[in-house]
Amino acid sequence: MMRNRSFCLSLALLLVLQVLLTGCWDNVELNRRAIISGIAIDRGDTEAEKYKLSFQVIVAEEISGEKSRGISPVALYTGVGRTMFEALADASRQTARFLSLGHVRVLVISEKFAREGIKDILDVLERESDTRLNSEIFISKGQPARELMSTMTVFSKIPANDLVEKLETTSKQFGYNFRMAVDDVIRGIQIRGGGPIINGVYTSGDREQAGSNDSLKNIEPRTILRVSGLAAFKDDKLKGWLTGDAAVGTVLLHNNLREYPSLLKDKEGGYISFNIYQSQVTLKVQSADPEHPVITIKITQQAALKESPNTLDLTSPRVLDELSDQLTEETVKQLKAAVSAARGYKSDYLGFGQALQRKNPRGWKKIKDHWEEVFTTCGIRFEADVIIRHTDMRSNSFQIY
Amino acid sequence: MKSGANRKAQAPGTGSAAGQPPGSAPLGLADTVAQSLINLQTELGGSPDLKIRRIRLGGDSRIEAAAVHLSGLADTVAVNEFVIGSLLDNTDDLLRDKQEDGAGASREQSPLPQVILSRALAIGDAVLQEEWKEIMLAILSGDTAILMEGCLEAIICDTRGGEQRAVSEPSSQLVVRGPKDGFVESVATNISLIRRRIKSSKLHLEVMKIGSETHTHVALMYMKGVAGEDLVQEVRERLRKITLNEVLESGFIEELIQDKTFTPFPTIYNSERPDVAAGNLLEGRVVIIVDGTPFVLILPAVFTQFFQSAEDYSQRFDIAILMRLVRYVSFLVLILGPSVYLALTTYHYEMIPTTLLINLLSQRENVPFPAFVELLLMETAFEILREAGVRMPRAIGQTVSVVGALILGTAVVEAGIIAPIMVIVVALTGIASFAIPAYNMAIAGRIIRFAFLILASLFGFYGITLGLIVFVAHMNSLRSFGVPYLFPFVPLSVNGQKDTILRLPLWIVGRDKTPKQMSKELPEYMQLTTGHDEQLPPLILKNDTPASRGMEGENDEK
Repeated sequence: MMRNRSFCLSLALLLVLQVLLTGCWDNVELNRRAIISGIAIDRGDTEAEKYKLSFQVIVAEEISGEKSRGISPVALYTGVGRTMFEALADASRQTARFLSLGHVRVLVISEKFAREGIKDILDVLERESDTRLNSEIFISKGQPARELMSTMTVFSKIPANDLVEKLETTSKQFGYNFRMAVDDVIRGIQIRGGGPIINGVYTSGDREQAGSNDSLKNIEPRTILRVSGLAAFKDDKLKGWLTGDAAVGTVLLHNNLREYPSLLKDKEGGYISFNIYQSQVTLKVQSADPEHPVITIKITQQAALKESPNTLDLTSPRVLDELSDQLTEETVKQLKAAVSAARGYKSDYLGFGQALQRKNPRGWKKIKDHWEEVFTTCGIRFEADVIIRHTDMRSNSFQIY
Repeated sequence: MKSGANRKAQAPGTGSAAGQPPGSAPLGLADTVAQSLINLQTELGGSPDLKIRRIRLGGDSRIEAAAVHLSGLADTVAVNEFVIGSLLDNTDDLLRDKQEDGAGASREQSPLPQVILSRALAIGDAVLQEEWKEIMLAILSGDTAILMEGCLEAIICDTRGGEQRAVSEPSSQLVVRGPKDGFVESVATNISLIRRRIKSSKLHLEVMKIGSETHTHVALMYMKGVAGEDLVQEVRERLRKITLNEVLESGFIEELIQDKTFTPFPTIYNSERPDVAAGNLLEGRVVIIVDGTPFVLILPAVFTQFFQSAEDYSQRFDIAILMRLVRYVSFLVLILGPSVYLALTTYHYEMIPTTLLINLLSQRENVPFPAFVELLLMETAFEILREAGVRMPRAIGQTVSVVGALILGTAVVEAGIIAPIMVIVVALTGIASFAIPAYNMAIAGRIIRFAFLILASLFGFYGITLGLIVFVAHMNSLRSFGVPYLFPFVPLSVNGQKDTILRLPLWIVGRDKTPKQMSKELPEYMQLTTGHDEQLPPLILKNDTPASRGMEGENDEK
C-alpha cells in the first residue's frame, strides 16, 4: 500500500516536472519586441525581389519614454524576397528585436501590385497567427506604398495610426471612404463576379522632407497623407479608381455612408447645400427569368438644409418639396454613376449578384458563370425618396433691406 | 469519567499515607486539613498565589477547616463575603444547634459538609467534591475549595472571576453600521452576548473541556430544531475525539475538526462579532466558543459565506449587492491580477491596446529583470511589508505602511529595478486582498496568487485557464461538515442564490437558506455529514474507539 502510494506520488511529480521541461516556448519579454504598426507592400522589379515589404516599427521610448533622444518615433525596415515570408525574414535580420505583427494597424499595397493581384498577400495575412484580420487595408494611389509608411504626420507620432484615424474621421464626416479591413477584403474577393473596394491613399506635397520632422516644423505641413478615392477590384485585381459621384453612389449602395454633403444648383445662381444624415438602400430583385433579372434600388434618405444663399421661402412646404425632388434626382444621378462605373469594370462589387442569389438560388446557379454579362445588361430601376427634415437653426435666411 | 470509581477507592489510601515524600504515591485529600493542605501545596509546587485561609468552624467544637483559592483567578469579594464570611458568621449557631440537639444520631445523619452546604454558605453555586483531580481543576479554574477536618470531601464554591477584558469593539470585521460589541476572552461573557440576542429556549448550549493540560472550556451552541440533528451530533463527535494537551485559541479546534487540512481554503468560518454568530445560529449553523479567545467558530461554512459582511444586512439591499460584487471582483483581482498582467505582456501582447502597449514598452525599456522575476520581487516585498506592518508595535505600524508603500514604491521605480506599471499591479492586488471581509479567505487568495503567477509565466493564458480548472475542481471536492463548498452554485440551487452573490430584500430571502434546507436540496449521494473521518487529522482519530463508532451506528439507525 505504502509503496504503491509513493510510486503514485513520484509519478505525479515526474509528470509535473515534465511540464517545466518544455520551458516557456513563446515567452518574449516586452522589451525584446519591436512592434510593427504598419506594413507597406510594394512590387519589386524582378521575380527574385517580387515582395518588397517595409515595416514601420514603433520606437516606444521616443513616443512616451522620459529619456527620448529626439529621434524619429518610428523606424522603417525594408526586406525583399520571393515570398512575403522571405521578405519578413530579410527585414528581421536588420532589426535588433523580434518583429511582432500583433499590432499591425495598416497595410498599404501599392497600386502596381494591386493591378497584378493581391490574393497571395491576403492568404499570408490570414494564415499567419500573429497578424490580425482587422488591420485596415489601403491601396497607394500612383506611388510606392513605402512612401506612405515613411511620411511624418501631425496628429499621431505613429503615421500608421494617423492614417487609421483619418479614415475613421472621413468615414464619419462627409467622406465616402469607409473602414475596410483584411477580412472584409478577403470576403469581397470571394464574391462571384465581383470584388472588394479598397480605400486609396496618397501623399500630397513635397516628398523630399516627408520622412523627417522638418516636414512638420511649418504651420503648413510639407507633406500630407490623404485618404481619397476607392479602388475598384475585379476578383483580386485592381481595375480602376472611383471618385466623385461614382464613389458616393457605390458607398450608398453598400449602406456605408453616414453623412455626406449634397449640393443643388439654384435657379437664381449659387448652390444650396444639404447634409444627408441618414440613408438606407434596399435591393429588390425580380428574377423570374434569371437571364434577365430586374434590380430595383430603393433608397430613402433624410436631409438637413445647411446653406441657402438666396431668398427662398423655406417656411413653405411647397418649396421644400421641390427641393426634395431635386435632391432625389441628385441621388439617383449618383447611384447611376456608380452602377455604370461598375458595369464599365465588369465587376459586381455592388453586391447585385448576392441579392439575386438570395432571391433565386436556383436561377443563380444557372447564370453565375456568366454573371458578368448578365450584370452589364440587366434592368435596373431606381426608387428614391429624399425627405428634408429640417433647415437647422433658422427657417428663412435673414435679409438685407 | 468512568474511571472515577477507581480513584475514589484510592483517595483515602493516599490520605493515610500522609507524610510520604511527594511523587511516590498519588496525592489526595487527607483526614486532617493540615495534611490536605500540604498535599495541595506539594501538587502546585508551593506556588505563592495559592491563598489558604484557615478557620475554625462552630465556636466550641473547633472543627479545623480551610478555604483555598488562587489569587487573581477568584473573585476576591465573593471569596471574602460569601465563602469565608458566611462560614464564620453562620457556623457558630449552626453547630451549637447541633450540639444542643444532643442526640448523636442526628449528627451522624447529616454530616458536617452537608450542613454547611445547605445552611451556612451564602454563595450561589457550591457542590461537594471528593475527587482530588476535580478539586485541583476547580481551584485552578478560580473556584474556592473548603477543606474540613475529618472529611474526605471538599466543598467547591464557584468564585470564578478576576480580571477580564471588557466587551469592546471588535478589532477585525469592522462595520460602519451595526453593533459595536465584540466577543471577549471569557466563554461565559461570550455566551451571554449571544443569549442576549437570541432569547429563545431553542438555543441550546453544551459545554465540554478540551485539552489534557489546559482543560479549556469549549461551548457548543446551536438552535434546536433549526440546526440539523446529525450536524450537531457530528460536531459533538469530532470535538469529543480531539486529544490535545493545549487549546489556546479556537484555531486549535478548527484545525482538528475541519474536513480537509491540505487546502488553502478555510472550511470553518470564524468571527469576533456576536451579531454574526447569532445570525448564523438562526440560520441553523453551529457555533463553537472557546475559552480564552474572542474568535468563535461557525460551521458549516461555504465559499460564499466568506464574502459576506455583517453590514450586508444592516444596509440597504442594493448597496449590499454592489458591495458583494466588489468583494468577488477583488478576490478575482487578488488571485489573477499579477498573472494576467504577466500573461498579457509576455505571451499575448497583441491583446493590449496599441497605445497602452507603447507605454508599457517604454516603461520596460531599461528594466533589467524578466517580468516574472519583477513580479515575484514586488509581490514578495509586498508580503514582507504586510507582515512587518502586522507585527509592528501599533505606533510604528503606520510608518511602515507609509514608508513601504509610498517611498519604497517610488524609489524602486526610480532606481530602474521595476517598471512603474508593476507597482500598480502589485498595489492593486494588495489592496484587493483587504477588500475581502474574511481574513482567512484573503490569505487563501494570497497563496493561490503565487501558483497562478508561476502558471502564467510558464504557459500564459493557457496556464491560467488550466489553473482555474484545477482551482474550481478542488473547491468542488471540499465539504464543510457535509455541505459542498460551492453550494449553492454546485449543486445549483435557485433558492440559494437569493443570499449569496446577491443579497435580495429580506422578505424575498425568507427562511430557506439554512444548512438543513441546503442538505434537503442536495442529491442523494451528497447527503453526508459523517464519513469524512479518513480525511480528518490523525490527532482526532486517536480517540476513535470502537465504542464511539457504536454510538455513531446508533445515530445512523435513527
